[in-house]
Amino acid sequence: MKKLVVLRKFSQIFFLLLFIYILWFTTNTAAFFKTDPLVSIFGIFSIIILISTLIIGRFFCGWVCPLGTIIDICGARTKNMDFNFVQIKYYVLGAIVVFAFLGIQIKWIFDPLVITARFISLNFIPFLTLILDKLFIFLIKSLNFYAPLYDFYRLLKISILGVKIYYFPHSLITLSFFVIVCSLVIITKRFWCRIICPLGAIYSVIAKFSILERRVDKCVNCMKCKINCRMSAIKEDMSYRKSECIVCLDCVYDCPVKGTKFTWPVKPIKPKAKDSISRKDFLFLIASSFLLFGFKGVEGEAKKKLIRPPGVTGEREFLNKCIRCGNCMKVCPTNGLQPAIFESGLAGIWAPHLVPEIGYCEYSCNLCGNSCPTGAIPKLNLAQKKEQKIGLADINKDICLPWSQNKECIVCEEHCPISTKAVKTYDEIFDGKKIKKPYVDASLCIGCGICQNKCPTRPFRAIKVLP
Amino acid sequence: MGNRKKEEGVKKESIFERVPKRKITRKGFVKLCGIGVGSLILNNSLFKFAFGQDEASTGRIVKKIKGLHDLVVVRGADPYLMTVKAIEGIGGMEKFVKKNGIVLIKPNIGWDRSPEQAANTNPQVVGALVDMCFKAGAKRVNVFDRTCNDQKLCYENSGIEKIAKEKGANVYSPDDWNVIKAKFNYKSPMEGWPIYRDALECDTFINVPVLKHHGLAGLTLAMKNLMGICSGNRGLIHSDIGIKLAHLTDFIKPDLNVIDAYRVLTRNGPTGGNLADVVDMKTIIAGIDPVLCDAYAAKLMNREPLSISSIDQGLKHNLGSADITKADILTITI
Repeated sequence: MKKLVVLRKFSQIFFLLLFIYILWFTTNTAAFFKTDPLVSIFGIFSIIILISTLIIGRFFCGWVCPLGTIIDICGARTKNMDFNFVQIKYYVLGAIVVFAFLGIQIKWIFDPLVITARFISLNFIPFLTLILDKLFIFLIKSLNFYAPLYDFYRLLKISILGVKIYYFPHSLITLSFFVIVCSLVIITKRFWCRIICPLGAIYSVIAKFSILERRVDKCVNCMKCKINCRMSAIKEDMSYRKSECIVCLDCVYDCPVKGTKFTWPVKPIKPKAKDSISRKDFLFLIASSFLLFGFKGVEGEAKKKLIRPPGVTGEREFLNKCIRCGNCMKVCPTNGLQPAIFESGLAGIWAPHLVPEIGYCEYSCNLCGNSCPTGAIPKLNLAQKKEQKIGLADINKDICLPWSQNKECIVCEEHCPISTKAVKTYDEIFDGKKIKKPYVDASLCIGCGICQNKCPTRPFRAIKVLP
Repeated sequence: MGNRKKEEGVKKESIFERVPKRKITRKGFVKLCGIGVGSLILNNSLFKFAFGQDEASTGRIVKKIKGLHDLVVVRGADPYLMTVKAIEGIGGMEKFVKKNGIVLIKPNIGWDRSPEQAANTNPQVVGALVDMCFKAGAKRVNVFDRTCNDQKLCYENSGIEKIAKEKGANVYSPDDWNVIKAKFNYKSPMEGWPIYRDALECDTFINVPVLKHHGLAGLTLAMKNLMGICSGNRGLIHSDIGIKLAHLTDFIKPDLNVIDAYRVLTRNGPTGGNLADVVDMKTIIAGIDPVLCDAYAAKLMNREPLSISSIDQGLKHNLGSADITKADILTITI
C-alpha cells in the first residue's frame, strides 16, 4: 500500500514540475488552465476532469493541484486539527457565481491555479533566474573563468535563464498573498483546500456522488487515520465525508491492521446531504449577496487610465475576463507588461498594463493574446496586432533635447517600428546647424512605447505614451 | 516589567501574550539603525567588489595592415560569392586573421526585420566571412550585436544567427556587466563609456554594416555600425553623433570593413519595413579605412560624403581619407 502513497507523491511532484515547466519554457501557458472548471467550464479538458471526479473523487486536489502540493510541502510538519468550517468554501464558490451574474469577476482572488501561476511567473522564476545569473556573474568575474564557464553561461542564457532577467516592481504583493495562502497551514494542514478553495468546492460537490469509496473492514480503534487525515474527512465512527476526501490514501497506509481500502462499491450507498451546504444556507447566501448589489453602482464604468495589452477594447469587459494569472506578463519578451496595483482602482488590481519605461510592446509579437487562458486579451494574428492602437505618444517639449536644448537626438524617430514613421521630424536651423525636431503623427502612432523606452532623457522621458 | 506582570497576572493569557515582549529603548533603537545602515554599506561594498570592477582601456592596438588595394568594390548577384571575391581582392583573409586568433564579426542585427527588408546585414555576407575566417585558421569567431528590438526576434528573423551558427561561429547576446570603460588620451565626450569586453579582446575586428538610410546620421555606415558594441544609455550618443562616432572608431580601430549594399533601404531608415523603400544595388564594398569605405558608400547613395557628420569628423580626426578620386579602387563585376 505504501506504493500507492509514493505514486501519489510522485504524481504531485510531477504535476508541479510540469506546471513550472509550462510557465517557464513554453509560450503556450494557457494549457494548464484548460483543465480548470472555474476558468473554462465548458472546456473539453475540464469536463474530462469533472467526469473522472465523478468516478474516483477529488483526485485533482490530492494528486494534481500544484497549490495543493506546495501546501502539502509547507504543512509537512505542522499539526493537524479537526476543523469543521468546511462549508465556507461553498460560500466562496457561491459568492463567485453570484458576482459573476452581477458582472463582477472575483475568481482571480481564489482560484488555486491562478494563485500558483501568478506566484511562479511573477516571483519564483524572476527570483531564481536572478540568483542563478548573479551567481554565474560572480563566479566568472571573481575567478576569471572567462573561457569555459562563460560559454556555458551563454548556453544557459539562451536556454534556461533567458536573455532578459525579468523584473516586476510590484511583485512583493503577489508574493505576500501567496505566502499568506501557504502559511495558513500553521492553523491546520491543508487549511486553504479544506475551507476556502472554490475549485475544491466544485470538485467536492461532484465527489459526493463519486463511485470509488473508502471502506473499513477491520478496525482496532487506534484513530490514526482520523488524526492524520489532512482534510479531516474521517468521522468518529470511521465513516467519512466523501466530498472532503482527496484520495491521498494516507489512511490506507496508516492503518496498522491493513483494514482500510478504497474500492468500488458492492452496493450503492445514499449520500447524506448534510455535510455540504444546506438549502437554508444557500438561500441565506443568495440573500446576503444581494447586499453587494451596491458595489456595481458605486464603481461605475471604469475609465481607461492604463495602457492595456494590444487588442483589449473595453476596460470593464477586460477586467471581468482577466483572471490575473500573470501568463501575459511572463511571456512578454520585453518585460513591459506589469501587474497594476491601484492605478485603475480596486477592480483592476494585478491586471496587466504596459509600462513603457520597463519594456515596450514588441511590434511583431502577439504572445500575450496567445497565452491568455480566458480571452481577455484577444488572440490576434501578427498582421492584426500590428494595427492595434494601444495608446498615443506625446512629446514633452520642455525636456525633449531637440526642442528644449537644440541638440541632435531623434532616437524616437529612429526606433519607431511603423514603416512610414509615426514620429516625424521637421528641420529647424539653429546656430548654422540643421536640427531635426520630432513630432507625433497621431494617425499612424500605435502607442507601442518603444520611443518612450529608448528616449535618452533622465529621470523623465521626453516622449510618453498616453492610453 | 516585573510590577506590571504582577498586576496583570490575574488576567487570562491571550495568544498575543505568548510572544515575549521586548521593549524598544532609545539606545536600542539607535543601535538597531546603526547595525542596519552598517550592514547595508558592507553589503554594498561587497557587491561592488564582486560585480563592479571598473576596468578601463585605451582601445585596440592598430595593426597597420596594408591591403592590395584601398578599396574593393564587387558587383554581382550572389552576396556570398561577392564577399569572397571582395576579401580576395583586398589580399585574402589571411592578412587579417592570424592562426588560432579570435575574430569578432560585428554585423548590424539591430532590428526585428527579415533580410528582404534590408534593415540588417545580409546573412549571406556574414556567413561568407565566418567561413573565410575559419579557413584562415581562426580559433574562434564571435558574432554579436546589441539589438534595438527584442534580442531573440532580431537574431532569428534577420537570419544571421542561423547561418553563422551553421558555419560554426559563436552567436550570443553581449552582457551589460561584462564591459570595459573607454579611456581617451584626449578630451572626448565618449570618455568612460562602457564598451563590451569581447569587442576589445579580440585579435581581429571585422565590421560588417549594412548601407541604409538613417534619419539623423543621414546614412548608416561603418562608423555608425560600431555603436552596437556600446553598452549604457546609447540614446545619448545621438547628440553630436559625428564626433562621438569618430572617437569610437578611433577607440576600436576596426581591422576590416565590409559594407553590405546588396539591398539598400533608401527611405524611412533605420528600421524600414516597407519593401517599396528597398532598392537592389547588389554591391559589396570592402576596405581597411573606415572613412574611405563610408565615403564611397555615401557616393553610391548620391550623397556628398562630407555632408555626413561622421565622415566629416573622421577626416578631422585623421582616421582616414575621404577622397575617392585619389584612392586605389579595384572594381570587380561577377
